[in-house]
Amino acid sequence: MNRRAFLRNLAGLAAAPALSLWDPRVARAAPNPALGFHFTDVTTSAGIHFLHNSGAFGGKFLPETLGSGCAFLDYDGDGWQDILLINGMDWAGHKRQRSTLKLYRNNRNGTFSDVTRAAGLDIEMYGMGVAVGDYNNDGFPDLYITCVGQNRLFRNTGKGTFVDATKASGLAGRETLSTSALWFDYDRDGLLDLFVCNYVKWSPEHDVFCSLDGKHKSYCTPEAYRGETCWLFHNRGDGSFEDVTARSGIFDSSSKSLGVAMLDYDQDGWPDLLVANDTQPNKLYRNQHNGTFKDVAVEAGIAFSAEGKARAGMGVDVADYRNSGNPGVAITNFDNEMIGLYQVTGKGDYVDVAMPGGVGQASKDKLGFGCVFFDADLDGWLDLAVANGHIDETVRNIRGNVGYAQPPQLFLNDGSGKFRDVAAGVGGAFAQPKVGRGLAYGDFDRDGDLDLLLTTNNGAAFLYRNDQSAGNRSIRFQLTGTKSNRDAIGATVQIFYNGMQQSRLVKGGSSYLSQSELPVTFGLGKQDKIERVLVRWPNGATEEHKNLAAGRAYHLVEGKGISPQSGF
Amino acid sequence: MYALCVPRPPASRRSPTAGLILGLVITLTAVVAYSWYISRQISGLRALQNNLVDRNRKDSLQLLRIQNDLNSLGLAMRDMLDNDEPYPLTAWSAQFNRVRADLDDALRLEKQVAVADRTPEQQQYLGNSFMQFWDAVDRTFALAREGKEDEARAQIRLTLQARQAALNTAVARLLVQNNESEEQAAQQIADIYNRVGKQVYLFLGATLVAIVFTSLYLIRANRQLFAQLATLSEQRSDLAQKLIATQESTLRYVSRELHDEFGQILTAVGAMMRRAGTQLPEGSPLRADLQEVREITQKTLDSVRTLSQALHPVMLDEAGLESTLDWYLPTVERQAGIGISYEKSGASFPVSGNHAVHVYRVVQEALNNVTRHSGANGAAVRLRFLPEALEVEVEDRGRGFVEKSSRQGIGLVAMRERAELLGGSIQFLHPNGSGTLVRLKVPREKPEAHAE
Repeated sequence: MNRRAFLRNLAGLAAAPALSLWDPRVARAAPNPALGFHFTDVTTSAGIHFLHNSGAFGGKFLPETLGSGCAFLDYDGDGWQDILLINGMDWAGHKRQRSTLKLYRNNRNGTFSDVTRAAGLDIEMYGMGVAVGDYNNDGFPDLYITCVGQNRLFRNTGKGTFVDATKASGLAGRETLSTSALWFDYDRDGLLDLFVCNYVKWSPEHDVFCSLDGKHKSYCTPEAYRGETCWLFHNRGDGSFEDVTARSGIFDSSSKSLGVAMLDYDQDGWPDLLVANDTQPNKLYRNQHNGTFKDVAVEAGIAFSAEGKARAGMGVDVADYRNSGNPGVAITNFDNEMIGLYQVTGKGDYVDVAMPGGVGQASKDKLGFGCVFFDADLDGWLDLAVANGHIDETVRNIRGNVGYAQPPQLFLNDGSGKFRDVAAGVGGAFAQPKVGRGLAYGDFDRDGDLDLLLTTNNGAAFLYRNDQSAGNRSIRFQLTGTKSNRDAIGATVQIFYNGMQQSRLVKGGSSYLSQSELPVTFGLGKQDKIERVLVRWPNGATEEHKNLAAGRAYHLVEGKGISPQSGF
Repeated sequence: MYALCVPRPPASRRSPTAGLILGLVITLTAVVAYSWYISRQISGLRALQNNLVDRNRKDSLQLLRIQNDLNSLGLAMRDMLDNDEPYPLTAWSAQFNRVRADLDDALRLEKQVAVADRTPEQQQYLGNSFMQFWDAVDRTFALAREGKEDEARAQIRLTLQARQAALNTAVARLLVQNNESEEQAAQQIADIYNRVGKQVYLFLGATLVAIVFTSLYLIRANRQLFAQLATLSEQRSDLAQKLIATQESTLRYVSRELHDEFGQILTAVGAMMRRAGTQLPEGSPLRADLQEVREITQKTLDSVRTLSQALHPVMLDEAGLESTLDWYLPTVERQAGIGISYEKSGASFPVSGNHAVHVYRVVQEALNNVTRHSGANGAAVRLRFLPEALEVEVEDRGRGFVEKSSRQGIGLVAMRERAELLGGSIQFLHPNGSGTLVRLKVPREKPEAHAE
């Protein structure tokens, strides 16, 4: 048996638990035509052959349950979204296979090519999540991979390759268990800074023995470990970063962070941060415009559940799902804790509306990780997709109604603040139970609707193509900053039509360990044009453009106007 | 006369009202007393619940929050001493400030809901301890800001951790105290429930006894009352029947006297006048006067006979009921100006005079009611000789029978009494929703009785 065949067999073995969860009824279920759209699982046909390696060998190391993330990014700047899938690896002393992250280049015909090696990313690391951002403003997105151990910064050379800039950037010499990360320009100096979530102080050497039956080792809950502060790195503009965690007020040694999203909570034009913590209060860091942040999560009502309990926050996303101009929040939690769906009250506080919103009860028996707001049916109202999956294979023995593999959920927003899960009706075996983790959206086939990328723990990744059948239209904007950061992360795009308004924030991070594409997509229903688009760039400048036809993408360059594309 | 005829009720028959009022007063007093007792117990429970249990619980929640914050501070201090972070000690100041803000809020709320048995010394100790702790924290961070990290760490080790531990103990003691108070309150609540439970059984027992006695008393009083009513009714019936009998006998006597005595006299006077007239010459004025007097006498004789018939038709005694009705009904038609249809059916049988007069009077009263009150211009009289009874019906299509006036009421009473005298029954019906049907049913007299 040659090495390649051996690895294939190992991959098959690793996939076996996932395959045994396959439910043929879900696989055969036809999509519901009334939804006006359906998903098609194009993973294999698109050439995505990926299996996550958690490195699990029986030692029940905490990080094995967590990974991993994914991203839609246009790494080669050709206007087509490429795919990045983060991978773990075998633990030292338990090597069985070689596993690396995978970068798939979009072939512009619905298929992808594995360019990992060519891009210089064929490097083994115990990867967790990814943040994509052009930190050096050279027009090509760079990668920050969070890991167990040393995180990695890969600078995009612009020639289809990446170089490891971890050391050169001053980000080396820190080993911990990092999770989600995001790029954002907190001081509005036109350079993307980096926020990194860390989970707990864990290393294989300091692994704690936990057991459910007193004999066999099981995965520990985070209470067994000390918290770890999140990090904030300020971009000096010379390719290096300085650690401003302490100076900025971000430092908190009790945090056990898994998800992070940027938002403008107080609508002051300065980016704030919302951090989802596991068994610790969530943090809402309000930007004080002077390089420091203040945690206002308790005052804002988002730190705890309505019962005053710190939940097990996993993934988080922020979006104006009510088209009110104010950002709403979704935070996925442990099973029996429900998703937290927050909306802003008149006083500027958050209130959890998961139960009346139809999301609470439906998520009660789910352990949610990745979550994204996106307009699945292009009706003008942001829907919510959630990747679910437990961390404990034996959970069914303890809680009969909760499974290890769990179906992802797609909550359609009816426009009145109510959501309903339509996952079972979207086809493509989307509702097949999975041990879901990462989740991202992007329009990889440039047809104007948003496709989903979902990763599973110790299993395959899934690419779901969104196919519209109701004739709903959309409009997309890609922003390029000139004075602001080149990715325009932090810019707000607001469109107006027919007495309606929608807004999107150009943002990195969000979801869980993952990043969605940077261009923003608005569903318009049957509208064939919008009256105007208002862009507020990250540095505060605004631009307005009128009478834009739907059914295409527009390229907005800060201070240089708008240019329509021929299609999406 | 009444005293002679009707025996007076026994002297022992007292009104039950006083007894009933007494029972009612006792019951109401018991209910009021019990309600007062229960409301007092509920107030006690509420007071316990609000002042002790709820307050205790809220206080304990705040104490737990304080304890949680103290633990967070403990963990942070441990991290500071571990010195495995690449950050200066001042990095923890934001974390301490967050916890401090939460602690201040928790302490403020705790003070508001602190249980009543908290001594001022305890409160002061808690306040002072926190003040000293934060003072030590400020001094520690001041040292850290000056770059004296080792001194700051020594301060944490020697002062802060000890103070944090002392605070933790103080808070834990308060929690234990709250727990004990809660246990005491739970015991008090259990005692109240037990007391109320006993009182409920007592009250139920007493109420049951009161109800039984009152019911027995009521039954006895009712039986006496019904017996008294039955006696009174019997006496009244006797009296009425005697009155009717006396009336009938008087009327019969007067009628006979009028018919026999005055009739004979007037007949004789008439005969004598005729005889005297024949002895006077034709055309003499005296003869004409005599003729006139004779005619007046004849009219008087007719009036006397009519009155006699009206008071008591002699015909009843002589010709029987059937013939009397045959005579009487056309007379009513004539006198009252109404049409009367008269039907007879069944095999006729004799009705004795005593019975006949009552039947006759009932028919008479019923027709009187028709002519006076019904507004009808006709009536139907049906006389049925049934095998075992005699049935007489008087029906009109008038306004119907409304028992309003006392006079009409007396007439009806008399009709009922007469029916009762005959051992029969009388019904007042409205067969078609309007009009009145009076139906008298009298059992047929037995031959022996009739023979007598």
